[in-house]
Amino acid sequence: MSQSTKMPSPTVAASTPTELVTSSTVKSVLPQRLASLGTLLGLVAMVVLFGVLRPQIFLTGLNFSNILEQVAILAMIATVQTVVMVVGDFDLSVGSLASLVGVMVAQLLVAGFDPIVATAFGLGAGLLAGAVNGYLVAYLGLSAFIATLATMTAFTGLALLFSNGATVFGLPDSFIWLGQGRIGPVPVPIIVAVILVLVVWFVLSKTVIGRKWYAIGGNAEAAKLSGVNTKAVRFSAFLVSGFGAALAGIILTARLASGHPTAGDPMMLTSIAAVFLGITLSRAGSPTIGGTAVGIGILGVLSNGLNILQVNSYVQQVLTGVIIILAVSLSRLSKKTR
Amino acid sequence: MTTSPTSSAPLSAPLLDIRGLSKDYGSIRVVNDIHISVSAGTIHALLGENGAGKSTLIKMVAGVIPPDAGHLEIDGQRQQPKNVADAQALGIVALPQELTLVPGLGAAENIYLGQRQPGSLGVINHRRLERNAREQMIRLGQSIPMNTPVGELSAVQQTMVALARALARNARVLVLDEPTAALTDTETEQLFDVLRGLRAAGTSIIYVSHRLEEVFRLADAATVMRNGSLVWTKPINETTTNDVVAAMIGRSQGEIFPPRSKDEGIEVLRVTDLTGYRLRGVSIAARSGRVLGIAGLAGAGRSELLKIIAGAQKAVDGEVRIDGKVIRGNSVKRAMVAGVALVPEERRSQGLIMKESIQGNIALANLPRVSRFGVASRRRERAMATRKVAELQIKAASVRQPVEELSGGNQQKVVLAKYLEQKPRVLLLDEPTRGIDIGTKAEIYTLVRGLASQGVAVIVVSSEIPELLGIADEIAVLHQGTLTGVVPAAETDEQSILHYCYGKSN
Repeated sequence: MSQSTKMPSPTVAASTPTELVTSSTVKSVLPQRLASLGTLLGLVAMVVLFGVLRPQIFLTGLNFSNILEQVAILAMIATVQTVVMVVGDFDLSVGSLASLVGVMVAQLLVAGFDPIVATAFGLGAGLLAGAVNGYLVAYLGLSAFIATLATMTAFTGLALLFSNGATVFGLPDSFIWLGQGRIGPVPVPIIVAVILVLVVWFVLSKTVIGRKWYAIGGNAEAAKLSGVNTKAVRFSAFLVSGFGAALAGIILTARLASGHPTAGDPMMLTSIAAVFLGITLSRAGSPTIGGTAVGIGILGVLSNGLNILQVNSYVQQVLTGVIIILAVSLSRLSKKTR
Repeated sequence: MTTSPTSSAPLSAPLLDIRGLSKDYGSIRVVNDIHISVSAGTIHALLGENGAGKSTLIKMVAGVIPPDAGHLEIDGQRQQPKNVADAQALGIVALPQELTLVPGLGAAENIYLGQRQPGSLGVINHRRLERNAREQMIRLGQSIPMNTPVGELSAVQQTMVALARALARNARVLVLDEPTAALTDTETEQLFDVLRGLRAAGTSIIYVSHRLEEVFRLADAATVMRNGSLVWTKPINETTTNDVVAAMIGRSQGEIFPPRSKDEGIEVLRVTDLTGYRLRGVSIAARSGRVLGIAGLAGAGRSELLKIIAGAQKAVDGEVRIDGKVIRGNSVKRAMVAGVALVPEERRSQGLIMKESIQGNIALANLPRVSRFGVASRRRERAMATRKVAELQIKAASVRQPVEELSGGNQQKVVLAKYLEQKPRVLLLDEPTRGIDIGTKAEIYTLVRGLASQGVAVIVVSSEIPELLGIADEIAVLHQGTLTGVVPAAETDEQSILHYCYGKSN
């Protein structure tokens, strides 16, 4: 047994393949639990590290509120991405859909539509886009990768078309409140994100449709033979992601006080990364909302802490990539042990 | 290359000697101490029912899986191939039933796939490759287009490519698993000519087939296996079809079966002229309180029949009625509401979510019973699972345990529990005892009979005819998608069922 199994640490990834094989045959419970909690320990370690390095800036209530505000919109997208990934698919179009909806809503507002009407229209467009994805994947049987890659490209094109490739300014204050306002001391985006997270958590863990989503992700054939209408249920997961992406796009536009045709795009990959980080915490290897929350926490704390340390933003990207690889390979190791 | 033979070996000495090969899967011995001698230049047939252990045996010979005991002797030298490459180096090449050719590549590329060409420095010399490939085909006495992707060749041409590949690897012992399954009659003759030619050139062939008539035309000797053990090996001219069938069947399985129903029951399920994938115009009926067995060879359409009844597969034509009411097809949900439950064939890939708990698996097929207004109750799920675990005597640490940690028999009981909780009126069981130990089998037989006596109409599909004879009241036999007979189980025997299986309707 190698030291690395007892205490997951970056050294595991550096050990040779032979050592990995040896450690994967070890059959004891404690190292497994530790490894499966590795991602959470990683988050704690990061908070401690940044706290020690810059206690007077990092460890303040204001800074934590900052982190939450920074990740709120990503959290919305990652939350609905979790649903699609529970079903065993993923949605590459969430980022560009958020951009598209943002631009559409901004144009409607500039054209003088009431913010409530514009927002409702944006959410409806999100549901429609989700329905297209869901139809392609669940009913036409395209792979989620190909279907959502195609719609992602198309949504980006539409966003550029509707905005002429430029940023749309001139949004009313009542709309901007959605992104910059506060209810009491709490920023609105955080409230929206928390509500969405709680609702999706409830649906995933307590309801019949949640059971069906997990069943399809676990074994679609067994689910079908158990009486689950696998097509309709898979379709519904994409409806959720379409709605969530639209919601995130609207809040993002309000936060930026402008509609930008590619503003939401980077959130697609980050949302998938957050879900994958969260999966490492699950014993069954399936996504959970709690896990995704930890994943978002890691990405948020990392980016905030590195900013405070004034680390070059390109280096930040490299570090983010390395951390995702570390976390996922650690959990793969612990899965092999079982 | 092959090891050099001891020069003193007489001509009649066996080329390949299988010495006591055995294999256990868990507590089940699937191949038990098999001894077979294959002489050079002979075709040796390997016969037995589904599950007799033939496939496992040839996999061990070909180096695909390691034996738990025993070894091979080649030219009198003790050998044990550790993997497929090892076996090929010893001259043993197996052709699986589904040929492993690359459909997009030409014949020459396929023949030499994975073999190093001397002096090529990693660059493929197509002209030389083709010339060599043609030479191999000439050894087979065949000529086929070298540049056509093999996926576009006929089935027999593909078999020829696979044979040429074996020859290019200096095969001295060829293992063929059902090589004629996909061939027409003319193609079969073409293949037989080639095999006879190879035999004359000194190659030994182990020939696995269900088609006894072929075996008697082609083979020099035959070995029959049953339940993993060897029954006998005889020269082909010292045996008969009846002799072989009797050896394949053996004697009856004993008294693990509960007594049959005396209840005539009432008709619950009626299937009329059902046509669909692998199924042509099948009409059968099932009665409450009775067990209907369905026999047939692999691919005869047994599972497909059950799937269509259960709404898991489309019917092109025909209808399914429960209590006289037509059930609109292709929806598992509708069939379930009508009282039909299908316990699927493959418990791992179709019956269970392996990482999910016992509780979660049972609840999945019974969500309306554990939920209210779309919200599922863990408490009710647990209560349901706990009750089922007790009823079916499922051995598990707790209802929260993932099913992947359970034994095969207990996994099968979880699958049964899922569907029994639906309280079906028509219970369809597809291979309900495959791969589980004899004790659990007996429990399942008792359970099935118990359900029938409570008024459920049960249909059991099984590849094991003795099992059907023991558990069923009537047996319906399918052959290539059509019904060839329905007989009372008490008035028939394995041999007559086999005759129906091979398409002879009396």
